[in-house]
Amino acid sequence: MKKFLNDPVNFVDEMLEGIYLAHPAVTYVDGDKRCLVTSKVKPGKVGIATGGGSGHLPLFLGYVGDGMLDGAAVGGVFQSPSAEQMYQVTKHIDQGAGVLYVYGNYSGDIINFEMAAELADMDGVQVKHVVGNDDVASSVVGEEHKRRGVAGIFFIYKAAGAAAAEGLPLDEVTRIADKARLRTRTIGVALSSCVVPEIGHATFSIGEDEMEIGMGIHGEPGISRKKMGSADLVIDEMMERIFTEQSYNRGDSVAVLINGLGGTPMEELYILFRRVSQLLQDRGVTAKHVWVGEFATAMEMAGASVSILHLDSELDRLVAAPANTPFFQHVGG
Amino acid sequence: MSLQAFNAVDLIEQFKSWKELFSEQRDFLIALDGQVGDSDLGITMSKAFAAASEALVAEGEGAGISKLLRTAGATMARTAPSTMGTLTATGFLRASKAVDGKNKLDANDIALFWRAFSDGIAERGKAKLGDKTILDVLDPVAASLEESVNAGKTLPAAMHAAEEAANAALQQTKSMVAQHGKAAAFQQKTLGLQDAGGTVGHLLIRSMADFVAHR
Repeated sequence: MKKFLNDPVNFVDEMLEGIYLAHPAVTYVDGDKRCLVTSKVKPGKVGIATGGGSGHLPLFLGYVGDGMLDGAAVGGVFQSPSAEQMYQVTKHIDQGAGVLYVYGNYSGDIINFEMAAELADMDGVQVKHVVGNDDVASSVVGEEHKRRGVAGIFFIYKAAGAAAAEGLPLDEVTRIADKARLRTRTIGVALSSCVVPEIGHATFSIGEDEMEIGMGIHGEPGISRKKMGSADLVIDEMMERIFTEQSYNRGDSVAVLINGLGGTPMEELYILFRRVSQLLQDRGVTAKHVWVGEFATAMEMAGASVSILHLDSELDRLVAAPANTPFFQHVGG
Repeated sequence: MSLQAFNAVDLIEQFKSWKELFSEQRDFLIALDGQVGDSDLGITMSKAFAAASEALVAEGEGAGISKLLRTAGATMARTAPSTMGTLTATGFLRASKAVDGKNKLDANDIALFWRAFSDGIAERGKAKLGDKTILDVLDPVAASLEESVNAGKTLPAAMHAAEEAANAALQQTKSMVAQHGKAAAFQQKTLGLQDAGGTVGHLLIRSMADFVAHR
């Protein structure tokens, strides 16, 4: 293992110290660095909180800021934060308009967010949940509730965050977040493993000439492991999965997120997007909003994921709205 | 002497008994959980009940039964954020709601208490009966208490029957295969072992039965 570390035990806390020093727009509450919130809570606005394990930057905390989220509870590497941390974040960001929780479909996160909501409810804070489950590789059609949440949660943050910034009430923000969830599909491919600092060795092994389509962002098994193919062939196989799930008509618009998993150069991500764009054009579908970069990583894992959000006019407007967060800035349009 | 109904002072004393119990049973639970889990159950439970008991003493009887139970649940959620800690915390929060407004808990209220506790854990943990979890002990306990109430039993008699039901249910978990948590990865290896979570359930009930019998 070759990593920039002091003591691996302090990995998350030292990362957070760096975050707070670099980004004064975020701070923490309850004397706990893992309870990250925006420095300027907007009066009267619906609060949006997220949370999950560390090891995925910019996810989750990186999207706390204007036009997106208000708080994030930060767990250990690939571990859920506690219900208490989520509750502290909730109490701070609630402005009387209620709080929406947006998080990924993992049992530890679910149990703790539900617990936090119960604690908040006893304080009279209304909480709603939208649980991201965009990863098409993690379960079949008809069993979507078993699917993991991965990079596509970015679109839920973006749409719900813009809706809350417009001043919409909790029920509306929740409806929009849920619509973005239902219209988002993601599929990933991994080329190498990740290393959890406190463990110190690769989570799994994969051959030099192999790839695994559908692997999760903690190294969960995917749907097929095979010899590495050309970039175009890899995208063809991945996009086939997405096209069979969502029916796109000629003239439809989508938002596209090409996400690097941590160990793949930006150049390669653009080579992947090139092919995604060709396939969409072949179907007469317009890639109206495109983001290429790192949005949800798995430590140093090499690989990428493609997320597609099927737009309607409402989602189109909200995805295009401005945002300004430590890890994501968008001027609008 | 025996106790016919819990008041707030009794409840604080009950938490002291649970605290002592889980401190004594810490190493036993660590060993039990270590066979098919990650050995943290003994640590979680001793921490959770120590913190809850201290919080209740600090808050005092004036807060009333429902508020004390809520404090116990919230304290556990904060101090023992593992799955079992969160589930136990949920149980106490649900029990708090179930007995809201009462200043004494008789056999009927204690039946409501454990039914809410058991159902809360089932909902939060998404476990079913037979999955080899704490639910396989607490659900029969709640059923036994409900039966005792219908039969007009006093609190000590109802708790005595509940303890017997808990013990029998715990023995039953030996024939189950784990479906939840880290133990699920061991599947068949869990056959023949009594469930660690179920053991916690039995200990909770046994302690309450003893408390009621000797108070």
